Amino acid sequence: MRERTVRALGLVAALAYATFIVWLYVRQPQSIAEVTGGLTATIGAYRVDQQAFDDGLRFFRRDQFAEARAALERADPAQQDPRTQFYLAYSYYRQGWGRLYQDDELFARGLERVNKAIALAPSGRLVVDDPDLQLRSADELKAELEAGLRTDISDLNPLRVFRRRK
Amino acid sequence: MSATVEAIALPLLLLTVAWLGGVRVTDRIALVPPPLFALVLGVLLLGVLVRSGAFAPDRLMNRSRTVLANANGFFVLTALFAASVQAFNLIMPETGLPHVIGNLFLLVLLLNTLAASPDRVRVLRSLLVTFGFAFVIKFIVLAALSDPSGGALKRVLLVMLEGLTLGTLTQTAFNSVTGYLAFATLALFLIALALLPSSEKFLPVDFDRRLERSRTDDRDAIDRDAGS
Repeated sequence: MRERTVRALGLVAALAYATFIVWLYVRQPQSIAEVTGGLTATIGAYRVDQQAFDDGLRFFRRDQFAEARAALERADPAQQDPRTQFYLAYSYYRQGWGRLYQDDELFARGLERVNKAIALAPSGRLVVDDPDLQLRSADELKAELEAGLRTDISDLNPLRVFRRRK
Repeated sequence: MSATVEAIALPLLLLTVAWLGGVRVTDRIALVPPPLFALVLGVLLLGVLVRSGAFAPDRLMNRSRTVLANANGFFVLTALFAASVQAFNLIMPETGLPHVIGNLFLLVLLLNTLAASPDRVRVLRSLLVTFGFAFVIKFIVLAALSDPSGGALKRVLLVMLEGLTLGTLTQTAFNSVTGYLAFATLALFLIALALLPSSEKFLPVDFDRRLERSRTDDRDAIDRDAGS
């Protein structure tokens, strides 16, 4: 009886451990916070820090992007919330946007974040209902960031100086 | 082999090797899945272990065992394969000429060992040397060459190897944590290999005779004590 118990417990523990390892290889977490956040998100128990999120949003609307990102990162330390990741991506877009040229590094980081937001959103669809934004879906933001990173003949169009930040 | 070793110790050891075998620490932590060639080497290593008697899969899975015991055995077999693959993933140089040469070296070595059919002890010794040598090459020699800050060893080796490798010698520079982790992982892997259930028929020929003689001596001693 004791041997059966040991074997059964061993099998369950080994299966759980193997599942955890596969999960680690798929998700590639970079910190303990990401590991615990990812695990709680798997069972639907992950919550962002609402206070930090609100602070981040307030900074974002005042165009204080570095401060906004610091607060948003604090709100979602495990990088599991698609909405927070969307605002982070948007902050990179707005900070990197320029009338004459874009900051490619910031746009690349924004693209990385928006891809993460899309990956986290259910069925990959993410729409943020915020009247302050002109790009309200992750797909639009992604297209805008990709267009900013692309180099083509339209970059030489002098009328570009009249376009507006979204 | 006890149920505790088979159901708990071996799976946990082997799964830990399968996990840590892919860890690479640079400015971030990456978990690297094994390349296809590591799967080939993993299969060959299983072949070597079975052929030498260092691993007897029939002691883990057979008709006389219960379903639960067979499930434990199957898990050990699967985990052993995953650990072997990741151990090769760990010791293989990542890129360039060292990657190609390292792969060929391991392939030939395993094929040679398979053909030679050594016994369990010799295979375990041989694997200790192989993994140890590969560890030194990747995490000490190549790491020194790829270290951006450089050092005396780097300058000496670069002068010696200059021109021979057409600039394909340098590897990704890992954080030193990777090397320590790799050492611990390989040690765990070799411990796990030593714990595997081995085949009785490959024990030294005179082992049974010695065992029987020892038992006879014990019985004689007991009889003498009882008589006196």
